[in-house]
Amino acid sequence: MDRRHFISQSAAALGLLAGFSGPARANLQKAEILVIGGGYGGATAAKYLRLFSNNTAKVTLIEPNPTFISCPLSNLVVGGSRTLTELTSSYDNLSKRHGIKIIKDSVASIDADKKTVKLASGQTLRYDKVVVSPGVTLMMNTIEGLAQANKDGVTLQAWKAGPETVALHKQIASMRDGGTFAISIPEAPYRCPPGPYERACQVANYLKQNKPKSKVLILDANQDVTSKGALFKKVWAEQYPGMIEYLPKHNVTAVDAKTKTIKLEIQDDVKADVLNLLPAMSAGEIAVKTGLANSNGRWVNVNFINFESTAQKDVYVLGDSIQVANAMPKSGHMANQHAKVAAAAIVAELSGWDVNPAPVLTNTCYSFVNDREVVHVASVHQYIAAEKTFKPVPGSGGVSPAPSTLEGVYAWGWAHNIWADSLG
Amino acid sequence: MLAKYLKRAILAALYIGFSHWSSTALAQNAEASNLYKRGLAATCANCHGTDGKGVVDGGMPLINNLTSEQMLTQLKAFKSGAREGTIMPQLAKGYSDEQLVTIANQLGKK
Repeated sequence: MDRRHFISQSAAALGLLAGFSGPARANLQKAEILVIGGGYGGATAAKYLRLFSNNTAKVTLIEPNPTFISCPLSNLVVGGSRTLTELTSSYDNLSKRHGIKIIKDSVASIDADKKTVKLASGQTLRYDKVVVSPGVTLMMNTIEGLAQANKDGVTLQAWKAGPETVALHKQIASMRDGGTFAISIPEAPYRCPPGPYERACQVANYLKQNKPKSKVLILDANQDVTSKGALFKKVWAEQYPGMIEYLPKHNVTAVDAKTKTIKLEIQDDVKADVLNLLPAMSAGEIAVKTGLANSNGRWVNVNFINFESTAQKDVYVLGDSIQVANAMPKSGHMANQHAKVAAAAIVAELSGWDVNPAPVLTNTCYSFVNDREVVHVASVHQYIAAEKTFKPVPGSGGVSPAPSTLEGVYAWGWAHNIWADSLG
Repeated sequence: MLAKYLKRAILAALYIGFSHWSSTALAQNAEASNLYKRGLAATCANCHGTDGKGVVDGGMPLINNLTSEQMLTQLKAFKSGAREGTIMPQLAKGYSDEQLVTIANQLGKK
């Protein structure tokens, strides 16, 4: 090597060293980090981006709703034993305690090439990293007549907790004694696997006390109950004998709102008094619109080590919108866990560190079988580097042996703690 | 002459650069490692509160009254089946022994 060559290489090496030794931290402090969606995933991501950066990262949360309303436990509102107010939390602590800027707006579009987000109000925001946590979209057009029936207020879904949840309870409360409440379930995957079966229990619990001649009909497109099957079936037989009828492999294709008739793919038409038809679901609209839903056009493929979209760099997708790994449910608890892995990865990346090579996720999900007793399902998922995915740990996880009031107390304990963990 | 000084200057600069780089790298490794540990402990926060500080009278057993040693003993008992419970025996079995040590160290009463 001649001297001149050596000098120029050394200079380059020095430049590189200088590059290593300082600006990484500055990148974390300077970066614009946007979080789209303030549900279990987005709110947690915003908070933990602040915590994991020791309050140095600049974080902006974009959420159209004025308050957070929990989907978990909202079946108790459908059944009438609890109110929506009990499930509502403020976003204030995220700004007051954690210094997160909150913009009350929805996102019209994301330009992943220019790294900008356009708000519905017209404002454009630049980002270095964006976290997208938009939940699910109900694909209303997969059931003929459903969109119109919903617009007319005849058929409510109440699969996003809010005014529809309360309105659905009112429909049930004003149903005649001897009437039928019908709930239909799309083929998995959908948001909250045990949710429809829990709802059937809550409606039956209400009817048993108030309109005992009535029926609950479950029309399930799946082969069998998709979660906690044995537990739910036992409860239906023992606590609601003759009231709940479960029909697997019943796929709803159309609804006639005027005659309240449900049309099925194979079987004969079914009539009911209150119709709660859940259509197939996809990733939240903004994720689909941005071209992130690269799994069948419905769900978003992510790199599980950091939850970065496989379609776009610096775009991280959480919660119900993703194409899940093996045995990973679409749940609020899971979205909160995704958020922590993504937040830690973003902080590491912006600090110039390797991301955690071995992240861990847990899931717990409590279902109320009446207004007091609960059954759970739990799992632990470790990242398997060789397969680049999460897998449940063999021998871990499981379900309750039977419903219990103790787990009813824990279910509320879970709720109060996860709300505080995500928003407090 | 000039080349001689330049060479020394470059060597000195390289030495300073490397030592600075390696100490920074070590600091970064320590900070990164701390972040991974916080991330692992955060898997407990959904039920037991951010940094183990649970909601008082929220319905879930509080864990922040336990020392790291006491917490590790309980976690190991759940994992082995020595202690019964509802969800915790099922969850504890999903973590390696080393992970349980990290969790107990992170969340135990200081």
